[in-house]
Amino acid sequence: MSPTIDVRRRVLEDNDREAARLRAAFAADGTLVVNLISSPGSGKTTLLETTIRTLAGRFTMAALEGDIATERDADRLRALGIPAHQILTGGSCHLDARLVAAGLERTAFPKVDLLFIENVGNLICPTAYDLGEDMKIALLSTAEGDDKPFKYPGIFARAGVVVITKADLAPHVVFDLEAVRAQVATLNPEAPLLVTSSRTGEGIGAWCDLLVSRLEAKRGGSRACP
Amino acid sequence: MHELGIATNIYETCRRVVDEKGSGRLESVRLAVGELSAVEPECLRFAWEALTAGGADEGCRLEIDWRPARQHCPACGEVKVRPETRWLRVCPDCWTPLHIEGGDELEVIELSFEPSSPKETP
Repeated sequence: MSPTIDVRRRVLEDNDREAARLRAAFAADGTLVVNLISSPGSGKTTLLETTIRTLAGRFTMAALEGDIATERDADRLRALGIPAHQILTGGSCHLDARLVAAGLERTAFPKVDLLFIENVGNLICPTAYDLGEDMKIALLSTAEGDDKPFKYPGIFARAGVVVITKADLAPHVVFDLEAVRAQVATLNPEAPLLVTSSRTGEGIGAWCDLLVSRLEAKRGGSRACP
Repeated sequence: MHELGIATNIYETCRRVVDEKGSGRLESVRLAVGELSAVEPECLRFAWEALTAGGADEGCRLEIDWRPARQHCPACGEVKVRPETRWLRVCPDCWTPLHIEGGDELEVIELSFEPSSPKETP
């Protein structure tokens, strides 16, 4: 009779251990870390550009950009004057905590108020990997359609905030915002849902205010660096 | 499609456990995979076969316990029965919004192995 061993180990325990180490380092620095997850082309980098422009001068920021190829996204954010590092996964569909740690080690970013981690464009695989972030942000652009929360429940159930992007396109595509609200409320009743457009500026103030309030909450109510 | 990476994590975990107990060939591995774990069981089985093919653990069975997410009512305190792959909008008894519990499991539960027979000394 072959021996059976009770294992009871999480498959991603190595990743989770590294993520816990990162989370402790971010807490010590008082840095708010957000992990942006969406399908390709839903406007993660564009939302970050708008966010950086809005918060520039008031907060210090840096970004890690996950992609399978090209330095394009990091170049776009560096052009706005923030430190940004491109993590090239070479075909892998998600970032993991080890890649984030290696990216941070290589760049030696200064201590910042806000660190944005833009995941590889994918609504599935990045969901499973803790990167040490304070919250996952699920983005959904209006052009992707209004059925996505129920089709990709993993990310919409886990997101701290759901951001609808490209609201300016809503009149031109089939997108029932109330249907999306109902799906998100079913999967994740506590998650705020923000409707934004980087083109028109709609909802960008509310999004930036949310980031600032989460940063202040993380620092126990104290103001961010002047 | 990250199941090959997940299969590799599972294999390394199991090998480590067997090596701690001595040595031997993996016979079967039992996993818990949650509905919201971002892992597709059939892709994982395919990746597992590809990963173990041609090695000492070729033929090791992967048994997957599928764990659906549950919907819990914070008001009645009860878990509600929901149709598979669909979600209840609110509690059918008291109309309170439900909370999702579990479904994110991704865990090696147990394994069995065939211990190597001690080498005979000539």
